[in-house]
Amino acid sequence: MAAARTVPSFTPAMLVTWILFATVPFWIERVGLYQYLGVEILIFALYALAYNLVLGHAGLPSFGHGAFFGIGAYAFGLAQSNVVPNLWVCLAVAAGAAAIAGAFVALFISHRRGIYYALMTIAFGQIFWFIAIKAHRITGGEDGLLKIERLPASLGITTFNLGSNIALYYFVLAVFAVVSFLLWRLVHSPFGRVVKAIKQNETRARFVGYDVWRYKAAVLVVSTTLSGLAGGLFAMAQTSAFPDVMSLHYSGYVVMMTLVGGGLVSFWGPVIGAVAFFLARDVIGSFTTGWMLWFGLSFVVLVLFKPEGIAGIFSGVMNGRDKIVPRPAAAPQSQAR
Amino acid sequence: MSLLNLLPHLLNGIALGLLFSLIALGFMLILGLMEQINLAHGSLFALGAYFAYAICGAKLPLPPDVLVAWAGVPLGLRFATAVVVAPILVAPFGIVLERLMRRTYGRDPLYGLLLTFGVAMVLEELIRVVWGTRDYMMPVPRDMSGGFIMLDLIWSTYRFWAAGMAVVAMGAVWFIVERTRFGAMVKAGAHDSEIVQALGIDLTRLRVWVFVLGTMLAAFAGVIMAPLWGIRPHMGVDAVVPAFLIIVLGGVGSFWGAALGGLLVGMVVGLSGAYASEWSMLSMYLLLIAVVTFRARGLFGKKSVLEA
Repeated sequence: MAAARTVPSFTPAMLVTWILFATVPFWIERVGLYQYLGVEILIFALYALAYNLVLGHAGLPSFGHGAFFGIGAYAFGLAQSNVVPNLWVCLAVAAGAAAIAGAFVALFISHRRGIYYALMTIAFGQIFWFIAIKAHRITGGEDGLLKIERLPASLGITTFNLGSNIALYYFVLAVFAVVSFLLWRLVHSPFGRVVKAIKQNETRARFVGYDVWRYKAAVLVVSTTLSGLAGGLFAMAQTSAFPDVMSLHYSGYVVMMTLVGGGLVSFWGPVIGAVAFFLARDVIGSFTTGWMLWFGLSFVVLVLFKPEGIAGIFSGVMNGRDKIVPRPAAAPQSQAR
Repeated sequence: MSLLNLLPHLLNGIALGLLFSLIALGFMLILGLMEQINLAHGSLFALGAYFAYAICGAKLPLPPDVLVAWAGVPLGLRFATAVVVAPILVAPFGIVLERLMRRTYGRDPLYGLLLTFGVAMVLEELIRVVWGTRDYMMPVPRDMSGGFIMLDLIWSTYRFWAAGMAVVAMGAVWFIVERTRFGAMVKAGAHDSEIVQALGIDLTRLRVWVFVLGTMLAAFAGVIMAPLWGIRPHMGVDAVVPAFLIIVLGGVGSFWGAALGGLLVGMVVGLSGAYASEWSMLSMYLLLIAVVTFRARGLFGKKSVLEA
C-alpha cells in the first residue's frame, strides 16, 4: 500500500470504518454500553488521527498534545459565551486558537527532533496546562469552564439540534469523515511524501533541497489545529471544559492510543487505538478500578514486542507472516516533484 | 520589596533547588551514561516516598507483634531506617525496568521513552491500588521538624536538613562517577561501548548497576522530599517534569549542569514566589525556554546521541 505511487481517494478501509461507525448507535446499547461512549470514542479517534500526523507520519514525538486539545475545548466555550453562540464560528475559533498556539510552539521547536522534541513539547504542554489551572477568571481554574451548550448545527436550509447524544454522534461522525478523508489526502499528497522523507532521514531530505524546518512546523500546526477541533467537539460533548485533558497524563494517553492501535504502520491505527482505550476503560473498569494498570501493562508489552500495535498484528495475520517490517527501508525511491 | 525580604525566598529557593538537583541527577545518570530517558524516574521517586511512609508509620505487612515493637522505636531511628531501607526496597523495581529496557537498546530512543512512560503509568496505578488515592503526611523526627528564628525570620528546620542530605547524596554520586574505577568504566562505556567490551568489561552488568544507582537516588530523593511535599499518587509526575527540565536546562550529560540547573530553577521558583506565588512554578518553564532558545544544548550540554 505504502509503495503505490497513486493512492485512491477512497479506500475500502476508509468506507468500512465510516460505515461501521455509522451503525454504532443501533447496537451500542444492546451490547451493554451507552451512546455517550460512542461520542467520546469518535472524538478521541479524531484527536488520535490528528496526533498521528506528528508521531506516526512525521516521526516527531510530541508529548504535549493535550494542551492543544484543551485549548480547543476552552476556546469553544469562551467563544460561545463571549463572541457568538454559533456552532461553526465556535468550532472555527477552537481550531484557530489551537492553530495559533501550535504555530507559537512550532517557532521554538521545529529545528529539533527525537528526544529533545519530546522534552520541549512536554515543557510547552505543561505551560499551557499550568495557565489553564491558574487563570481562574478565564478558564475557571480546576473547577473548569461550565455551562457550555451543545449548539444547533444550522445548514442554511435546516437546523439540527445536537442536544441528544445520538444527534451529536452523527454530527461528530460527519466531522470525523471529512477530517479523516482530508488527512488521508494530505498524507498521500506531495507534502505528505516530503514529511515521510523527513521522518526517514532528515539530513538527506534537507540536502535534497527541502526546507525541513517549514515542513515540520507546518505538520505540527495542521495537527494542533485538528486537535483543537476535536477539543472543541469534546467541550460540546461534555458541556464543559476541564484542565485535566491538558495534563501530561492525558497527553500520554493519546500517545498510548496511537501506538497501541498501530499508528506507526497504519493510517487507521489511531482509530483502533482510541476504540481499544475506551473499551478497556469501560470493560476492564467495570471489574476493577485499576484498569489503567492493565492497560498500561499491555501497552508496555506492545512497545516491547510489537511496536506496530494492533494494526501490525492484524496485518501480520492477514499476510500470513510472523514478521512485518516496522517501517519501510531507509532508502526512499527518488521521486520527481 | 527590600533585599532582606527577598532573602528567605532566595534561601528556600536554594534548598528546593538542591532537592531538584538531586532528582535530576538520578535521572541524568541513566540518561547521560546509558542514553535512555527514564520517564518512570518519578514513579520510583514516589515509591521511595511511599515505602518510607510505610516504614516510618509502621504500616508494613509484618506480624502485628513485630509492628507494635517497631512502632515503639523512637521516630528518629525509624526515619533514619527509612532513609536507608526505602531506596534498597525500590532498587529491585529498577532492576526489572532495566531488564525490560534491554529490548530497546540500539533502537530509536523513542521506544525507551514510550516504554518507561507505560511503566510510569503502571507504577502510579499500582500505588493507587495499594495505598489508595488519599494524601499521606510523612512524620518527621522532632529534632528535624519545627522552625527556628534567624535574622528575625522564621525558618523551617527540615528544609535545611533535606537540603543538607541532598548535598551529601550528590557529593557521593560525584565521587562515584568521577573518582572511582566503577565510574570510569561506566563513563567509558557510554563513550565507546565496543572498545570497553573488548577490554573485557561486562557492560551488561555495569548497566544494571547504573540503573540501580539511579533508582536508589530517585527513591532517596522521594524519602527526603516526602515531608515537604506530602505523599500522593501523582507526586511522581510532579517530580519528573522539573527533573526533565533541569536536564535540558543544564545540558545532557553534565554533572555540574544538573547541579547548577537545579539551583537555578529553585532560585527562580523561590524568587518569583515572592512576587506571585500562584505562578511561581510557571517561571521554571519560561526559564527553560529562554535558555534553550539561545543555547540549544543547555548550559553545559555536549553533543549526544539524543540529537541524532
